[in-house]
Amino acid sequence: MFSFLKILVRNLIQGPSTDPFPFGETFTPEGLRGRVRFDASACVGCRMCEHVCAGGAIRFEQSESELRFTLWHNSCTFCGLCQHYCKTKAIVLTEDWHLSHRQEEKYAMVEQGTVPLAPCLGCGISMIPVADELMRVAYRETNQDIDRLRRLCPDCRRKLGIKGVQRCKM
Amino acid sequence: MKTFLKKVAAQSPWLYRINAGSCNGCDVELATTACISRYDVERLGCKYCGSPKHADIVLITGPMTTRVKEKVLRLYAEIPDPKVTVAVGICPISCGVFRDSYAIEGPIDKYFPVDINVPGCPPRPQAIIEGIAEAISVWRTRL
Repeated sequence: MFSFLKILVRNLIQGPSTDPFPFGETFTPEGLRGRVRFDASACVGCRMCEHVCAGGAIRFEQSESELRFTLWHNSCTFCGLCQHYCKTKAIVLTEDWHLSHRQEEKYAMVEQGTVPLAPCLGCGISMIPVADELMRVAYRETNQDIDRLRRLCPDCRRKLGIKGVQRCKM
Repeated sequence: MKTFLKKVAAQSPWLYRINAGSCNGCDVELATTACISRYDVERLGCKYCGSPKHADIVLITGPMTTRVKEKVLRLYAEIPDPKVTVAVGICPISCGVFRDSYAIEGPIDKYFPVDINVPGCPPRPQAIIEGIAEAISVWRTRL
């Protein structure tokens, strides 16, 4: 019968339940999907993020010397698919949700990164260098042979592989 | 009298919500910021009003579909100046996932000036409050 008294006393002790933001600090739940961070040194240029992007926010531009990644936060739904499909963890969604901005900054709300292309040691064609993170994901341990393959383009790697098989037969 | 009104008006900007073909996600978040005591946008002196003629800050959600375009433009014209426009969610800012559809006429900054953008799908209530707080500071400069 007097259960309301319990609630009354509890509310008197606890104080207001209103979040003090914007006058004070607020809480951020763990795992909140906010502003996207791109790490160019871990990107392997598979473009899976561009393919799965629901809002069409991610764009890749390839030139002679580099691969440029652009993500526009004003088109991003923060679904996290890019992070899910990025095996080398080049794309990570941070917990930063402070994204409101003035109209002047509308087209400045981007996350950019460039992956410089490197020449293949075999034929000299420019290719996306194999990231350290990819080596860690693909091979648990690396040795000198694997490290040599890493600086070759897919064609040269294939040629080297066929030569290796022939040697085995002989 | 006029200076007195200006002083008083600066304390209490009234909000008006336009749904320009939104999926309702952002509208739910706007209702949350207004109605749930945890967020309580009325601490900033704001109050939702039912008539565009009383509005000071306009919150627009949705990518502006062909069907509502004329109605939105008519509503927007009814809001007296000075007003501050806030685009809530990625749809009014860039049309988001609905971009390039035959039924979408947005983004809304093609039709009228936008002051603040709050991206998110939908933005969390704190982000909306942050956007509204910025809109209030813009609105005070316009009075």
